[in-house]
Amino acid sequence: MKTMLTILLASLLIAAAGAKEVKLLNVSYDPTRELYQEYNAAFAKYWKAKTGDDVVVSQSHGGSGKQALSVINGLEADVVTLALAYDIDAISEKANLLPAGWQKRLPDNSTPYTSTIVFLVHKGNPKHIRDWDDLVKPGVSVVTPNPKTSGGARWAFLAAWAYALEKNGNREAKARDFVSRLYKNVPVLDTGARGSTITFVQHGVGDVLLAWENEAHLAIKEFGADKFEIVTPSLSILAEPPVAIVDKNAKRHGSLAVARAYLEYLYSDEGQEIAAKNFYRPRNEKIAAKYASQFAQLKFVTVDGKFGGWQKAQKKFFSDDGIFDQIYQP
Amino acid sequence: MKKKCENTKFRRWLIAIFLGMSSIFAPSTMGVPVTNLDAEIEILKQQMQDLDQKVRILEQQRELDKEGAAATAKTQPVVKLGSSGFTLSSADTNFAINLHGLVQLDSRTFFADHNLANSGFLLRRARPIISGTVFRDFDFNFTPDFGGSTVQILDAYVNYHFDPELQLEAGKFKPPIGLEALQSDAACSFNERSLVTDLMPNRDLGVELHGDLFGGIASYAAGIFNGAPDYNGTTVNSDSDNDKAFAGRVFLQPLKTSDVNALQGLGFGVGGSYEADHDGTSGLTPGYTTDGQQKFFTYAGGVVANGTHWRISPQGYYYYGPLGILGEYVVSDQEVSRTTAPLGSANLQNTAWGISAGWVLTGEDVSYTGVTPRHPFDPWTGHWGAWQVVGRYEELNVDDKAFSASLPFAVSPASASSAHAWSVGLNWYLNKNVRLNASFSHTVFSGYTGAAPAVPAQAENVLFTRIQLSF
Repeated sequence: MKTMLTILLASLLIAAAGAKEVKLLNVSYDPTRELYQEYNAAFAKYWKAKTGDDVVVSQSHGGSGKQALSVINGLEADVVTLALAYDIDAISEKANLLPAGWQKRLPDNSTPYTSTIVFLVHKGNPKHIRDWDDLVKPGVSVVTPNPKTSGGARWAFLAAWAYALEKNGNREAKARDFVSRLYKNVPVLDTGARGSTITFVQHGVGDVLLAWENEAHLAIKEFGADKFEIVTPSLSILAEPPVAIVDKNAKRHGSLAVARAYLEYLYSDEGQEIAAKNFYRPRNEKIAAKYASQFAQLKFVTVDGKFGGWQKAQKKFFSDDGIFDQIYQP
Repeated sequence: MKKKCENTKFRRWLIAIFLGMSSIFAPSTMGVPVTNLDAEIEILKQQMQDLDQKVRILEQQRELDKEGAAATAKTQPVVKLGSSGFTLSSADTNFAINLHGLVQLDSRTFFADHNLANSGFLLRRARPIISGTVFRDFDFNFTPDFGGSTVQILDAYVNYHFDPELQLEAGKFKPPIGLEALQSDAACSFNERSLVTDLMPNRDLGVELHGDLFGGIASYAAGIFNGAPDYNGTTVNSDSDNDKAFAGRVFLQPLKTSDVNALQGLGFGVGGSYEADHDGTSGLTPGYTTDGQQKFFTYAGGVVANGTHWRISPQGYYYYGPLGILGEYVVSDQEVSRTTAPLGSANLQNTAWGISAGWVLTGEDVSYTGVTPRHPFDPWTGHWGAWQVVGRYEELNVDDKAFSASLPFAVSPASASSAHAWSVGLNWYLNKNVRLNASFSHTVFSGYTGAAPAVPAQAENVLFTRIQLSF
């Protein structure tokens, strides 16, 4: 017995001596703080059990576009988990840090979870906001981030545009007029979704927040269902925030294998459960069914189906002198 | 009367009808009758809520503007223009370019010189100084000089500062030997450096390791250079022989960080150079000059450097408040040979020493880098800058072997074997950038054996003035 204990202790010591620490930097978009705080702890535990190695994941959060620019300018991300594929495409094209076909490397076009845009209003919904039409009424103050820097803001813009197209027989001029009137009701533009949430929820600005679905639920969870409520519009956009390894950085850091495992684990049952608990719509059908009651049913449009993909949408709406620049005057 | 009563009744009836119609058609706000007090309160509440929203929006916009300004400041280049010159740098200061300058307009007036010297004005120095930094750790300097009668590149070097304690400099710059020679031209107390500098090299090309240790208490420099002769006003940009010179200096300010204020400004050290086989005519000084820049010693034609050339220079300074003292001694030992009859070689050891002192009358502190007036010159506010009196004594002695009758190396009889000088002066620092000074220098010679008028035949008396602009 004593001998066995000695051998066991020696084995543990040898294992500990051989264990190494791997560091990862996950550059993410603004509202995913709580998700990745929980997920990183779970992954570290999983990886330790599997390999004996320690993983320390550092996080960086901000508007998706701004984060992509940071990585292009040298922020040494091992993985990026951004709001939309265009931002990761930009990292590939401008900095050549990952291959152009990155999206095919993981299931579901590298989007382990989805989300959408909903409305968060004050309890009692004093301005009687039911749908997108109510956002363009005079006297309604709308809070949403800046589409030039925030991925969530771009999803929200496209959702509003899609609604206006559906309502007006796909007439672009009507959609433009609708979205113009909506942005006339926007008093401030934060750089990211979390900033807008703080502006609305803590600083008390605005009557309605165009929020990521998970942000809306988190706000209610943190501040109370007696303060805010969610209004689900009749139509919204299926937001597909993708994830990717930043190959060149991960190779240079010697963290490629761990980075790959880190993203793959998002698709595991535990990863999907964590996503769902943080109000992201999981891809796993079984887990999605388990959490179905916390997600509203609504009509979705997709960026591919309605706008021809992110490359076209970005160029048409959000590039310099694009439609957003034309309609929004601060 | 009856008619009057009837008119009154009619007016009252009209007024009643008018009031009744007003109450029906009067404008209302938000559909609420304005005469209703509760409705008015609701209106005021709404107005207050609207105002509250506006204030919150303004506060949020202000926060966003501040964040935006902070983010922009991180990437915007920084432009500075002031008494230290012009600087353009990146926000993170990893890249910068600085433009400085030095202009010195002098006058020299010689007295009782038998018309051997030219009194007049001269542009002593005119230097645009371009320096900067690239990639944070690499500094550079390029300084041409357009003063005097020749245009030359004085400094052109790159310095890699891995750490303040370990830096590597390469290019053309002052070798690390003499204290007064290393002092900036703008900071010198007199128009011309002392006779000590006659035995020091001007600029040289090479590579030097240097740094400041223990928080600046000790500094060191050691390098390999082409090897430059004793002071040569015009510098060269290539080597004239195969041999190289070692030059090095250690300087200590042991009490710089102590609590003894009176001794914080004490510094001393030693510098030197050694070249094993310095040869050729270009290895010799073109001549030793006085404060008035007149040659009093020249090597004879056909005399060349031929062999070892070494220098050693103990040096020191003391600064305490308005008092500044600087002194050094130098030995320059050079093996020379005659290439014309009578042939022969000798080892000439020339020496020089000097001590200067100054006192800032207006009380400002003086340092090795000069004087900064507490109150820049502005007669409208009764401020007159800083005033300093200075004095100096200096000597240079040429080895007697240079004047050997059987094997002379000096131009004879036009050379003197020694020069002794004293100088007094007054410096007026109008502000950090502009300075005026006036000084008088008296130099006497010995060992001159000629009869014809020559520089060393009589004392040199010269009055200097200077207008200096440095930034």
